[in-house]
Amino acid sequence: MSKLEFLQGNIACAKGAIAAGCTFFGGYPITPSTEVAEYMAEALPKIERGCFIQMEDEIAGIASTIGAAWTGARSMTATSGPGFSLMMENIGYAFMTETPCVIVNVQRGGPSTGQPTMAAQGDMMQARYGSHGDYAIIALCPATVQECFELTVKAFNLADQFRCPVLVMTDEIIGHMRERVIIPDSVEIIPPKPAKPTDLPFATDETEIPGFLPFGSGQRTHVTGLTHDERGYPDSADPQRHETLVTRLVHKIESKRHEIADYEIVNPDAEIIFVCYGVPVRSVQQLAAQDKTIGYLKLRIVWPFPEEVLKQFKCVSTFIVPEMNLGMISREIERHTTVPVVSAGKIGGDLHTAQELQEIANAYKATRGRT
Amino acid sequence: MKAQVKEDWFRQDRLPHIFCVGCGNGTVINCVVDAVYDLELDIDKTVFISGIGCSSRAPGYMATDSLHTTHGRALAFATGVKLGRPEFDVIVFTGDGDLAAIGGNHFIHACRRNIDLTVVCMNNQIYGMTGGQGSPCTPIGKLSTTTPYGANETPFDLCELAVAAGANYVARWTSYHAKELRNAVIKGIETPGLSFIEVACQCPTSFGNKNKLRQPIDHVNFFRKNAIFLQKAKKMEEERKEIPAEAVIVGEYARRSRPVIGGRI
Amino acid sequence: MMKQLTINETRCKGCNLCTMVCPYKIYQIGTTPNRRGIYVPVLHESGRCTNCRLQELYGRELCGGCALICPDQAISWIPVPQYKKSNIIIEY
Repeated sequence: MSKLEFLQGNIACAKGAIAAGCTFFGGYPITPSTEVAEYMAEALPKIERGCFIQMEDEIAGIASTIGAAWTGARSMTATSGPGFSLMMENIGYAFMTETPCVIVNVQRGGPSTGQPTMAAQGDMMQARYGSHGDYAIIALCPATVQECFELTVKAFNLADQFRCPVLVMTDEIIGHMRERVIIPDSVEIIPPKPAKPTDLPFATDETEIPGFLPFGSGQRTHVTGLTHDERGYPDSADPQRHETLVTRLVHKIESKRHEIADYEIVNPDAEIIFVCYGVPVRSVQQLAAQDKTIGYLKLRIVWPFPEEVLKQFKCVSTFIVPEMNLGMISREIERHTTVPVVSAGKIGGDLHTAQELQEIANAYKATRGRT
Repeated sequence: MKAQVKEDWFRQDRLPHIFCVGCGNGTVINCVVDAVYDLELDIDKTVFISGIGCSSRAPGYMATDSLHTTHGRALAFATGVKLGRPEFDVIVFTGDGDLAAIGGNHFIHACRRNIDLTVVCMNNQIYGMTGGQGSPCTPIGKLSTTTPYGANETPFDLCELAVAAGANYVARWTSYHAKELRNAVIKGIETPGLSFIEVACQCPTSFGNKNKLRQPIDHVNFFRKNAIFLQKAKKMEEERKEIPAEAVIVGEYARRSRPVIGGRI
Repeated sequence: MMKQLTINETRCKGCNLCTMVCPYKIYQIGTTPNRRGIYVPVLHESGRCTNCRLQELYGRELCGGCALICPDQAISWIPVPQYKKSNIIIEY
């Protein structure tokens, strides 16, 4: 029997994590993500081997999360913009060492301290490019409280499947909004690829993803953020080694972007297509209910960007991208299409209204009418 | 699995290590390996963790699960590992730059939490791996590449810091006092809670070269001559005798049983 | 089992710290470079080593200061076959 509950997004995230078997949370309080930590602090000590720890800063939060991941625990941390900036180095470390872990970023207005209690989507590019060096990442963007639950579960599964850090990029609106949520009795749990203690810890087959054995299983893994070989031993001076390693790490995610992709298309034959993710999806849906001439693409997973999806819109004359920043993903879309892209960025914390989006669509129609 | 011989604790395919001729880090590794061998720890249930720097390359030579992490964050990673598997023995290798500078906050908080880790700090008073820059532990007047006119900042006393922050076991030895160091590591592993063992060790390449201690033997002899036992230093203080500036005060600073987290179940 | 003191030449980097700690001055500073150009210390009358002489009698490792201070893990004791009386043939 699944349960119907009335929850806020942050609690749904935490409940999703518990349902997915998360047993470790290491974090640092930051508005507007604190409810995730608060719920985990209450829930984790009640589960077997469950552990919650409030660390001294966000850097330590993600560091302890990665440490716990290597003991085989499904581990998670939650933060917001300023904390996310602090975590960047260790997100790169988790990527380099192929550590499965989940980071929830409840986005708020930035830069700097900005608007702690207002929503934004300004960390989308930082999520993809914030850590130094070449890397790839998986980022999920829930648009409803239900999706907060579902996508957090999915994040844990993707992290284990692809052996990489996975980001759940929610925002203050979803995080603090209360909605009906259906909590299922159990969720699908996909374990990491199995391995034997005799296997080399970072040796891969054609999937490019090594099997995962946590500490204590006899493999005696050396984990290092330095460029390493299949045994995990550092070898940072060999250009070939670095190229092979980093190319594989990026390729293992980027090459499977279609397998990872999760999106929804409504009215694909429309001329005007809204591409949206996260909370602006709600305004777009509202508009689409009124105006049948528009269609939309809703992305649940933004990174890796599913560029081929854009080719499904045969009659499109423009993509309009409403997002709560000054145009981040709109640039990404521009890279992949020849169709004009209109960025409908809005910052300040207020969500686009359907009316505003209608006006943007109308303005576009008017310019087409003139030509 | 228990080690049959001491060499079982080393990754044979990784030795000889990257440390320079006469580097004190090698001595510290020996003492720690000797300690864990004597204690008959399980190789598969021991984890060595480190940050970045010369000292932090040490876990790479250990035939256990090992985590070579980001600069200064070793203790935060170790906290996660220890809480994830409290039955593991977690030993952290770190250096003075790693622990006292970039990782200072993690250090005092690990001591405050009194999490059951053993932290071995190889204090060579300099940033060795980056080429000999001054660290928070460079003594006043000593030369380094970033203190070309002599360091003018007061260095940290890491042991006093650990005691004040609340660690359960705190000791300082030098790379000359290998036996005492080995015994301190044994006591540190046996003591529940955070055990902090600082080792003053030589860096002939970067520190010794600039500070008239060019040969490894010179620097180890310097430790031999200038080491003052803690009890003696306290007595000297009581008698209002001046403790020489270059003195290295060695001994056990604390051994107590404050509440612990992450202890063995 | 008898044990014999040895220096692993592939590991030794020639820092000579062992020459400083041995109470019997068994280690002498090397005079000729080896294949890798390293002046490995020379063992002088290594039979005087406490561990070689007495570890069998006491049933545990003794002294070992040199092995503990050696930064390169180059010093160890390797088992040597027991001195067998029957192997000695006295010719007249």
